[in-house]
Amino acid sequence: MNKLLGPALTLPAVTFIAVGFVLPVLILLSEAVTVNGAFSLSPLIGFFRDPGSVEVFWRTIRLSGLVTLTSAVVGYATALAIVDSSPSARGRLIGTLILPLMVSPVARTYAWVVVLGRTGLVNLVVVGLGLSPEPLRLLFTETAVFIGLVQLLLPLMVLSLVSALENIPADVVPAARVLGAGWFTTFFKVTLPLTREGLVIGGTLVFTGALTAYITPAILGGSKVLMLETLLYQRIRVTNDIAAAGVIAIILVVLSITANVLLKRVAGGRSQ
Amino acid sequence: MRLALTGAAALLLTTTGALAQTLTISTYGIAQDGFKKHLYAPFEAQCGCKLVIEVGNSGERVSKLDARKANPEVDVIAFTDFDALDAANKGLTETIDAKKLTNYSKLYEFARDPVGGNKAIGYTYYSTSIAYRSDKVKIDSWADLAKPELKGRVALPNITTSQAPLALFMIDKAVGGKTPDLAAGIDFVGKMKGDVTTFYERGSQLPQLLQQEEIYAAVLGRFGWAGIKKLGMPIAWATPKEGQSGGINVLSLVKGSKNQDLAYKFIDFWLSTEVQTKLAQDLIDSPVNADVKLDDAIAENLTYGADTAKSLSLVPPAQLLEQRKAWVDGWNAKVAR
Repeated sequence: MNKLLGPALTLPAVTFIAVGFVLPVLILLSEAVTVNGAFSLSPLIGFFRDPGSVEVFWRTIRLSGLVTLTSAVVGYATALAIVDSSPSARGRLIGTLILPLMVSPVARTYAWVVVLGRTGLVNLVVVGLGLSPEPLRLLFTETAVFIGLVQLLLPLMVLSLVSALENIPADVVPAARVLGAGWFTTFFKVTLPLTREGLVIGGTLVFTGALTAYITPAILGGSKVLMLETLLYQRIRVTNDIAAAGVIAIILVVLSITANVLLKRVAGGRSQ
Repeated sequence: MRLALTGAAALLLTTTGALAQTLTISTYGIAQDGFKKHLYAPFEAQCGCKLVIEVGNSGERVSKLDARKANPEVDVIAFTDFDALDAANKGLTETIDAKKLTNYSKLYEFARDPVGGNKAIGYTYYSTSIAYRSDKVKIDSWADLAKPELKGRVALPNITTSQAPLALFMIDKAVGGKTPDLAAGIDFVGKMKGDVTTFYERGSQLPQLLQQEEIYAAVLGRFGWAGIKKLGMPIAWATPKEGQSGGINVLSLVKGSKNQDLAYKFIDFWLSTEVQTKLAQDLIDSPVNADVKLDDAIAENLTYGADTAKSLSLVPPAQLLEQRKAWVDGWNAKVAR
């Protein structure tokens, strides 16, 4: 009886996912590999033959990778500080961390348009300190998209790392210190290996998030800094090219899975 | 007792709801509050019917129309003139019988049959030109967009917008282009692309960019002018020597509509002096009904009058439709990369 109960309980959710998500996605993806009803890889090949699309492809990987790396470094420091603080302060810090996630991404991104603008805060400081004689052009550049994405996704990395750090047995770090390990050795030999699962989860979330973010690259990058997601939207909305959109969707799915597998590899390899 | 009354009222509402005819309109998403106030609600009150409004981008709604042509859900569609021609060529729209429209004779000549074959009827039009900071730069020609004062301070419409073909058409003219593929114009934009702040996709972004001094000039449709004037900055609307471009938005009857009589009534109502005046006064749409009289203050924000209409260099919808792919390809090769 109990054996049947488990699957039976998941049935409504599984049915919902299958009908409402898996099936439509499969139909969409199948569009990318069909030409006039027959299987064909020509849309996929066409994408990689078009220099413009390839440029967007590499830009997306480069920016997403950079955002993930930055989030990991900055996020680790933040997570260590949060875990080191008193329990009450920890709650407040995590609350502050989550706060930006509760603001509408559109409003948040428009705030960046003001901050990064020629008359915005960043340029006020840059010109004020004499770093540049005139305001920098930041909006509609890769830098703007990078900044927007880091701000958008950093909390996900920090949260993953905080929970990973909290799960480290309380006595391993003091034990390493007692045995004579310095701060660096303790961090790289003990803390980091024990939190690699958190890095993998955080890294996957951030990388996938950067890959599939739409509003940030659309508003801060515009058509001059297209990423796969904004290109996909353009293909659907403007040229109504479902096949091209399907190809991009496949690439995005493959990239997300590859990122996760690679991150696991890297993390797993280090510990052995 | 109260409960019974509420129940009866609810029953009455559902019955009338079921009996009332519905008319489905496919249109742009902008200014829906204004359309509801001046067009939809008064029409519903008059006809005792119910309007269903479906909104979206012009091209995307044509695709939907095509996908559902066997069993169309939409009765009347509002879109660009070239999309109307596209739809007509695909056999998606009906020939309009002008005799069934009492307001037809009041329309400006250019609005009566903009795509040919009476497949569409204009309901509004706009000019497209350059808004610029008159204290920073002087613009007398479309080629002035590449002036040194505008280096890194100019926004052009991206090829994905309906304004881009119009801008390209005029730039091509200004730089002496001779071919319908606008090669000269595209080349010109390709050469200045590094100095273009952004190729915008949403015109609603422009006021903010002007306000932040991110840009000093932008190519846009007159429908965006009111939002820019509100900034209270020294911004002027250019009258380039090559002229201004523009576009017409039109209404078409969907082939296979089961509510044709009602659809004619709706189109006629939209073109009436009263509705056209109200939409103009709220700066929603420029009127095509010649009987509409506007104050100077209102007219200044719109595209108004028979003379203005005549002066615009409109891109013939057939040329746009025929060349659009070549323009997009040229743009992708020279500008987008």
